[in-house]
Amino acid sequence: MYSIDDGLKENIKHINKILMNKYKDVLSLDREFSKKYIQENVGPIVKLNKFTMDELFNFTKSGGILGIDGSKNRMGGAYPHFIEIYQGLAKSTLYKDKAIYKTDFYTPLYLENEGVNLLENTVEKEEQIRSKKLSSIEVEAALEGIREFNPYAVMMDGSLIRYDIECFDKWMELRRECEERGIILVGVIKDIKTSIIGDLFMNDTSLQIEECFYDRELLYGLLEYGEIIRIQSEVTKKSEEGFASLFMRSSNAPSVIGMDILDSQKDHLEEMARLVFTLTPKDSRGVPLWLDIVDSEVKIPDKMIRGLLESYLDRSILEMFFISERDKRTM
Amino acid sequence: MKVVGITTQQEVYIGSKDRNFRINEFLIITDSYQGDLMGEVVEAEAYNKYIPLSMHGELADSSVIESLKAIGYNVEEDTIYIAKVRLLNEALYPVEAGSDVRIPEFDEVKDLMIRSSVDEGLVLGVIKSTDQMAKGMDEEYKDLLYTFEDGQLKSQNEIPYIYNIKSMHQYPHVGVFGGSGSGKSFGLRVVLEELMNLNIPTIVLDPHFEMDFSEIEDYMPKDKAVIYDDKFKCLQVGFHVGVKFQDLSTQDIKNLLDASSPLTDAMNNVVDILFKRNDSYNSFHNRLKMLVEAQEEGSLDRISRRIEESNSNLEREGWQKRKELYLNYDKICPYSSVRGILWRLNRLNNEGIFSKDIKEIEEGLHMGKLIVIQGSTRILQVFSTYLVNNLYHKRREYKDALYKKVTADYFPPFIVVTDEAHNFAPKGYDCPSKSILKEISQEGRKYGVFLILATQRPTLLDETITAQLNTKFIFRTVRGSDIQTIKEETDITEEEARRLPYLKTGDVFVSESAMGRTIFARIRAANTTSPHTENPFDELKNKTEEDDNKFLEIIKDKLPINGDDFINVIKEIESETGLTYPLDLFEEKLNDLVDKGMIEKQKTPFFNVYR
Ligand SMILES: Nc1ncnc2c1ncn2[C@@H]1O[C@H](COP(=O)(O)OP(=O)(O)OP(=O)(O)O)[C@@H](O)[C@H]1O
Ligand SMILES: [Mg+2]
Repeated sequence: MYSIDDGLKENIKHINKILMNKYKDVLSLDREFSKKYIQENVGPIVKLNKFTMDELFNFTKSGGILGIDGSKNRMGGAYPHFIEIYQGLAKSTLYKDKAIYKTDFYTPLYLENEGVNLLENTVEKEEQIRSKKLSSIEVEAALEGIREFNPYAVMMDGSLIRYDIECFDKWMELRRECEERGIILVGVIKDIKTSIIGDLFMNDTSLQIEECFYDRELLYGLLEYGEIIRIQSEVTKKSEEGFASLFMRSSNAPSVIGMDILDSQKDHLEEMARLVFTLTPKDSRGVPLWLDIVDSEVKIPDKMIRGLLESYLDRSILEMFFISERDKRTM
Repeated sequence: MKVVGITTQQEVYIGSKDRNFRINEFLIITDSYQGDLMGEVVEAEAYNKYIPLSMHGELADSSVIESLKAIGYNVEEDTIYIAKVRLLNEALYPVEAGSDVRIPEFDEVKDLMIRSSVDEGLVLGVIKSTDQMAKGMDEEYKDLLYTFEDGQLKSQNEIPYIYNIKSMHQYPHVGVFGGSGSGKSFGLRVVLEELMNLNIPTIVLDPHFEMDFSEIEDYMPKDKAVIYDDKFKCLQVGFHVGVKFQDLSTQDIKNLLDASSPLTDAMNNVVDILFKRNDSYNSFHNRLKMLVEAQEEGSLDRISRRIEESNSNLEREGWQKRKELYLNYDKICPYSSVRGILWRLNRLNNEGIFSKDIKEIEEGLHMGKLIVIQGSTRILQVFSTYLVNNLYHKRREYKDALYKKVTADYFPPFIVVTDEAHNFAPKGYDCPSKSILKEISQEGRKYGVFLILATQRPTLLDETITAQLNTKFIFRTVRGSDIQTIKEETDITEEEARRLPYLKTGDVFVSESAMGRTIFARIRAANTTSPHTENPFDELKNKTEEDDNKFLEIIKDKLPINGDDFINVIKEIESETGLTYPLDLFEEKLNDLVDKGMIEKQKTPFFNVYR
């Protein structure tokens, strides 16, 4: 048995009290009431059907689905002695053996291309560069993917808005090309971070909810398996303009996922939602199997990155810059 | 096929995208530094990182996998096959990852797999997962046998498993272990067939009356049938063979009396005192009986009165004799013990054990035959103790005489085989058959006397004996304690032990000291069949059918039979066949045949007519 410090125990009990207190308003909301409120103020709740095999074959005939995902690995110690490696992948359901990989890296030690000075570099700025790099290679992979495979739709792992914010220029290129060629571009969001419904709740004085809750908290367990909420464009925020989105419970797990699509393609949103629903195992956490596969293809084990660095960097460089004191202990 | 992942000097993993591996398959790794390394697959798995498990660890719904296939992506193609391979000989360095792997040629594995020539060994079955190597096999090893699997006879396409019987000289004795229905008795049958082929003198103790070799198995093609009729003999204790009382020593007689349950000290004492050299059964029996009768009178006075009151000389002499016995032995031989001995002796005698001898057995062995001794487990315990002791000592005397360069009668080396061996050599308590089996297990090698012991329960078999079994055939075993015993007593690996509960009937691990590793084999189809492998329910059905037909045969030419005429018909039958039917049984049987549609019954105003 481990002996647990009493202070720690008390702290955990305390956290529980705080959270229970904070969420008691939400937890006490009646489920039917919430659903009705959402129907009236957010958008209709609709139950989806899965695609039949014949319907699915149509996707194959029209070019298949291109899945996009990215990964990053970090090696080294504290700022600025680390290196981050990014990899983006575009993989079509139709071309098993022809996946497109894109890679990039970032280290504060080498910022020539970034056009910033190491010494005046701020944390925010740095963060921005890193997000941009990851988003960019994903978009690049997508771009090359649509050119090479001409898919019916592109399914990105994560919200489309993210690309809009993080790598605007590249994103516009992808967006334009998809719209021109009639390729559907859709984002699947595992971890929704919005508070669309939460804001409505808070601003509605009749509800007496003082805090802003996240949508994932409010929607937990609310929808039935296969149900979606079509979010009406009036309720979306300014930053989300130009996109249409929905929430969906895609598996038996009580949590919901989100999806978004270009406004110009919003007629296809429900079609894509049905596709995601069809491809999600009932007993999973709600992510379509296809994206899971792309995800596991793009991930690089840390061991492998380390192996690569060890093989291709000079030992002195490696040790001087990228091996943290903690890592040295295990080497 | 390539070596993948982290390797050691003993074990490597091999991966393949398109070839599934089989357990116990042999592979050669071509290591660029160390040359060819031979290994055996000890674990095989197919792995698909994309076929997801649900949150509860079950396989995710297959509809999703189908759907994904419909949009063009076949997850199943991403399956990779991985084998854990153990090197037969430890490598000098860890195996080079990325090394190519190939299937060996027959010549490369010949020495590992074939340990005896076909003519001199026991051709017991095939070595599993060797079909690819078997393609390049020398002709002499082909078409030696059939296997019988999934209800079908299959011709041999693997390397044969040939047990090197000559190796017994160095690595004596064989154990055959396995749970109920795992194929022990069948395997034993195949071993015995092979022993007969080689004319090796063999004694088989057969408590199940199943080791008869006169019936050819139905599935065997007619032209391949092997006839063993003149190679074996089934002998029943008390009927064909028995013990010659005059030859018994005090120890023998004690062993006999002791075999079913142990003698008390007092009983042992009684035998020591009352059994005289050269006693016949009758003389010993009479002595015991008269002493008991005298003791039952209770006192010397009453015995004396009996003498006085005797009506004839004969009777008087009898009581005189009883008095003598009483005077000599009453004090030292308590009544209850004498009675106990008498009771046991009577029982043995009733079983016919003293009415025959073992001459026929000895003759059979001299002719290189297989002698099957049949009887109940109890009677076999008694008889085998005497028999095996006797034969073993004959062989021993002969060998010792040779050594001392004096003359002695020839007695051949031989093998003792028994099923249910734990009954003959139980762990934890002593019994006479155990002492002789133990002696043979420890010393038999010197004299050319060997054991083949089969049991369902290795845990119940005497551990000294188990330790002397240098070759073990291990069939399916489910019971945890037995698996534990097997792990301790053989060189089977952890992986193999884990497979024991799942083995197919007739599949067997052979752990030979002579080999230093385990072979996974399938026992061949037997040429002959046990006389009662019949399903007991089929047996019931056949029996009634047989009875019905017999009865029909008897009454056939009496038909039609009138219902008022049974008496005369029964009389006729009695005089013709000697069979007597009571009236109502006779009628019942007729009606039974009517029910089964074999004859007809007509009602007339006065009686029924059967026709
Ligand atoms: N090698 C084999 N090939 C084909 N059939 C077999 C083989 N071994 C056993 N069988 C069949 O399986 C059945 C059970 O086998 P067997 O009688 O040998 O079991 P056992 O191990 O002796 O069981 P028990 O301990 O109950 O006596 C038999 O009907 C036999 O015909
Ligand atoms: Mg049996």
